[in-house]
Amino acid sequence: MKRLVAALSFTALSLAAFVAPGQSGAQAQPAPYPHKVVTLVTHSSPGGGSDIFLREMVKHLGKYIDATFVVDNVSGGSGARAMSKLATSKPDGSIFYAITPTYIYTSLMSKPQHTFRDLQPLAVVFADPEVLYTRADGPYMSVKDVIEHARKARGRFGVANPASLERQAAERLKNAAKVNAAVVSHEGGGDLMINVLNGTLDAGVGEIQELRAQLAGGKVRLLASFTDQRLIDFPDMPTVKEQGFDVVVHKFRGLAGPKGLSPEVIAVWEKALPLLLADPDYKKVYAQESLIVDFRGAAAAGRLVDDFARETESFLKETGVLK
Amino acid sequence: MATASQIFTMLFATPVIPAALVGLVWGVIGGALPGLSASVTMALILPFTYALDPVSAIVLLASVYIGAEYGGSIPAILIRTPGTNSAAATVIDGYELKRQGRAGEALGVSLWSGVVGSLFGLFTLIAFTEPFSRLALAFTPMSYCALGVLGLSIIASLSGGSLLKSLAAGLVGMMVATVGIDPLSGVNRFTFDLPDLLGGVKPIMAMIGLFAVSELMRQSGGVDLGAQAAAGVRIVFPSWPMMKRLFKPQGIGCGVGLMEGLLPGGGGSVAAFFSYNEAKRWSKHPEEFGKGSVEGVAAPEAANNTVASSSLIPLLSFGIPGSNSAAVLLGGLLIHGLIPGPRLFEQNADVVMGLYVGSFIAILAQIPVGLMILPACMWMVNRPRPVLAAFVFLLVMSGVYSLNGAFFDVALVMGIGFLGWLMAKGGYPFLPAVLGVVLGPMVESNYRRSLLLSGGEHDIFLEDAIAVGFFVAAFFFLAYSLWRERMDARAANLKEA
Repeated sequence: MKRLVAALSFTALSLAAFVAPGQSGAQAQPAPYPHKVVTLVTHSSPGGGSDIFLREMVKHLGKYIDATFVVDNVSGGSGARAMSKLATSKPDGSIFYAITPTYIYTSLMSKPQHTFRDLQPLAVVFADPEVLYTRADGPYMSVKDVIEHARKARGRFGVANPASLERQAAERLKNAAKVNAAVVSHEGGGDLMINVLNGTLDAGVGEIQELRAQLAGGKVRLLASFTDQRLIDFPDMPTVKEQGFDVVVHKFRGLAGPKGLSPEVIAVWEKALPLLLADPDYKKVYAQESLIVDFRGAAAAGRLVDDFARETESFLKETGVLK
Repeated sequence: MATASQIFTMLFATPVIPAALVGLVWGVIGGALPGLSASVTMALILPFTYALDPVSAIVLLASVYIGAEYGGSIPAILIRTPGTNSAAATVIDGYELKRQGRAGEALGVSLWSGVVGSLFGLFTLIAFTEPFSRLALAFTPMSYCALGVLGLSIIASLSGGSLLKSLAAGLVGMMVATVGIDPLSGVNRFTFDLPDLLGGVKPIMAMIGLFAVSELMRQSGGVDLGAQAAAGVRIVFPSWPMMKRLFKPQGIGCGVGLMEGLLPGGGGSVAAFFSYNEAKRWSKHPEEFGKGSVEGVAAPEAANNTVASSSLIPLLSFGIPGSNSAAVLLGGLLIHGLIPGPRLFEQNADVVMGLYVGSFIAILAQIPVGLMILPACMWMVNRPRPVLAAFVFLLVMSGVYSLNGAFFDVALVMGIGFLGWLMAKGGYPFLPAVLGVVLGPMVESNYRRSLLLSGGEHDIFLEDAIAVGFFVAAFFFLAYSLWRERMDARAANLKEA
């Protein structure tokens, strides 16, 4: 009898423990915040990648931070104008910028007045998996097929934009496999997709969420991901690393503020973001996009951005883009 | 029968009609405001669609697109300012007609041609999405390069005077287009460390500068400040004989618009120029072009309105947008959890049906909405000239500022305007320069892309049948224009003698 009670009470306790965080997440008061309105800046235009990321986030963020969030599209100059806006704002926690590797590329390549060095990473939230893909009715079944072809003839890899992590991934794959291949950049993902589908290119590199339409229609075949581990949604797709080419790229998604954010502001966000990521409604949204949760607080995010910038700079110098 | 009742329910039980009407009106206004391109007009209304159901949201966005493509022609005709990129070709004859006091006629023709183009585009979208989507896939970088060259060959026939000056203007346009981030390597070109130049000089800035600002400068230098050509404020809707005359240029516009809409990167402005040129080539009165030809208004307006529907073909069938505006629509679809592609037609047939029905309503509503808005616009441009010039200047500059929210752009457009004023003084035509800005990047990046693919061998162009076809066509067009110019010159000499 005692045992049963113990067992029951244990179950009840663990249930309570299990339920409680969920409840406190859903019903707890949002954390107090020094500003009523917080502006989240993105360099992408409405409907673009970072814009959708912010707008989805904003829908749920109010439950955890007591403020109204406004998305501001500061497009132009691939982030140069957004960085200027941030760098010249007060670091009081009233304005943040949705960062992706683009802002590092723009800083390094275009040398604008304000760069990523004038901003302070607040957090990294997700990693977008980059994948290598080919047309579904094409001859390539694996990364090895693509590389094998590039050994015999001239390989043709495509990427959406010249200043991008996708291009870096393709160039590094080419170097790792020591093959002669053209890495062809395009004016956006649509152009690239046409050239992959009509066979002009052997394979393309892109984010998995950009391929959803073609995947659903059975038009493209995923060959491998440039991630450290296999993707949860695509357990059969190997990583490029598994296939014998040591190329892993990390497309981070996070937030940065002007330099000099106060520890109090950082603390609110570092507490709120993990709660947001655990929110079941929000989870549904990002799981659909195959985003990998990769939460890092301000300090770790800062290190990640620094490492990424160093790696990218040396890559750009190697390939002759930067002198 | 099931479909008929489905459409009936959709019309009266869902907010498709209000969505189409609101979208159309907003689109016409946004399109008519210089600086607000069709895609920006759509992007501005995108946040309002978050709360709507998917069908209404998509109908709203598609209707804005239809309205904006039409609205762009209003300022093109009335104040020589293309409201959107794709209205640039309408400026040529539209503004000329207005100067002759035939603005009402020009606006009527543009409205009617817009409706015809939109209906044709919607018809192909509904009936032929499948076969045309395959055509879109056939275009390689080599084909695009050749298409751009074919487009540039128009310069020769647009010269209307000195071929040399026309080519010089085209080259200036292409040079301007090289400013910004290199499309292939990502290196900065001619940006002089100015972050505002990273995005390059957008075609719309070149158009507004060359057409509108230079015209304002010319007007303010004139002595006839007080005078104003007497003009009626009535819209003259095309009569039946006129409709018959417009049939050919509209047909050309529809055909060209269909092609260009299918091809990502082509877009409305290329379609408008192509169709203008073809309409001139096949017209019974080619001498009227540039001097106020109604056909010169009908062809580009039919073309850019066709693009508004035909660019949805690659979007709906592959998820690949054929224009910037279609890209915003793609964003709208994704926000509502709709993934374009073959399965959209199976899984979200209601959304596709709604899109068709909503677009149809928006197209029909174009006529009453146009007839309501146009008299107000015409009243405005009939104010005393100094007042009008100041108003237009304010409108144009605020439009330019709103593109990126940067004063740099305002200065840039003023600079281009001054260049345009000098060009006009020296007898250099604007159109080749605008074509250079629009087509230069298309030719350059696809030429380099092709050579990158082949490892530097030009043979790759010969292996592409479409590219070969375009190059041959371009060669014949050029040869024909040169021959005709020589004949004209000889005829002129004979007359003098």
